[in-house]
Amino acid sequence: MRLLTHNMLSSNIKGVANGFPLKIEVVKVVEKEVDFNIDFLKNMFHKVEWKALVEASTTMGYAELPENADATMLDSDDFLHKFHHALLELHLEEGALVCPQTGRKFPVQKGIPNMLLHEDEV
Amino acid sequence: MKEVGIDSASSLHTSESVGEAPVLRHVAVRPKCSSNVQSTPEIEKKYVHGVYDAIAPHFSSTRFAKWPKVSAFLSSLFPGSLILDAGCGNGKYLGLNPNCFFIGCDISAALINICSDRGHEVLVADVVNLPYRTGYGDAAISIAVLHHLSTENRRRKAVEELVRVVKKGGSVLIIVWAREQEDRSLIEKWTPLNQRYIEEWIGPGSPRVHNPSSPRILESIPEVEENGARERLKDRHANSSKVKLAEVMNSISLDEVSGASTVALASGLAKKDDKRGSVVYNRYYHVFSEGELERLVSDMDNAILVDRFYDKSNWCIILEKTS
Repeated sequence: MRLLTHNMLSSNIKGVANGFPLKIEVVKVVEKEVDFNIDFLKNMFHKVEWKALVEASTTMGYAELPENADATMLDSDDFLHKFHHALLELHLEEGALVCPQTGRKFPVQKGIPNMLLHEDEV
Repeated sequence: MKEVGIDSASSLHTSESVGEAPVLRHVAVRPKCSSNVQSTPEIEKKYVHGVYDAIAPHFSSTRFAKWPKVSAFLSSLFPGSLILDAGCGNGKYLGLNPNCFFIGCDISAALINICSDRGHEVLVADVVNLPYRTGYGDAAISIAVLHHLSTENRRRKAVEELVRVVKKGGSVLIIVWAREQEDRSLIEKWTPLNQRYIEEWIGPGSPRVHNPSSPRILESIPEVEENGARERLKDRHANSSKVKLAEVMNSISLDEVSGASTVALASGLAKKDDKRGSVVYNRYYHVFSEGELERLVSDMDNAILVDRFYDKSNWCIILEKTS
């Protein structure tokens, strides 16, 4: 699971008002190279919840992102590469995503989150 | 006395020959299980999820042909788009536009594992309840998925979810099997939901036999209301009774007997075809009639229909999110 995906995921358990962001429990992180696509990065910059990305990235062991970011930083190659690395190249291979409200853990195995709810959670 | 015919509208029907007029009675049926639109009905657990999990490796290898209409849609999206594929199956559309990024989800962990092995970004999730923040995607696709949902409310909820997860101005492409089939030779693979499946099908959306003395007269019943109101079956004149073949089983045959199919055979999920030496599974489908997809979206106040077409025995719509 990449942080791009993590930034989109939200706990959809019945009754949960604040399911985002899910806390990350790390068991194993893997880095995988991804082609640099500047259009995609600029597009994603306007979508991501920046604080959640910074926190997630730090949890995964990459603390190079600035605490705050604004669109002018997109002119900086250095910033773009750090953003790219955090968003696309860090993978949670094994671990869990934790609902911030209920503490319910969604497992991540072989890089795949399983977000299916149990009968009593829908 | 039952005939299966193909009428002039190229749709299947079953007709009862006129004999003794059956006595029709109102039967009030209270559904036994939760009518929550997000709870998975039994028929889907067994004849959709169970089947795809069992056939996943085979399904993956036979599904490489990409529909040109889907390719065209994906190619039309602006470079750098984030595309969400809900019900991505073996992932054949993931990555199809190399300038975009795809995130796929499917309810079958077995199929998602195959996508992941191919390097795609995927997760296990339910299209009826997507674990996604609102408005994050640029576009969404759901190809050959909604016809596996067994109630109108679930199908509508899935469409609402697809629209919810894209940004304002984002597009959604939905493709489903049509009741109006072009290739008549394929029709032999389809069987209407018959008595045996009716008994197994508990919960909202299931057709009910409302005439015990003539069990072959089946009818789709109206949706149960979410507040648990009782279903009521409409009165029908005997002569106009037809099987509503929107609810069908489609058989899929696999040549080899694998470990998964041995288990499936033992549990009754699959049958052996000794003549051909293959293993046969049945998948549940609700096939869509012309106009049905449009009706499903007609009440939506945050999306408009921008295109509709029929392609190779499938009904297709493209929606645009307006707010």
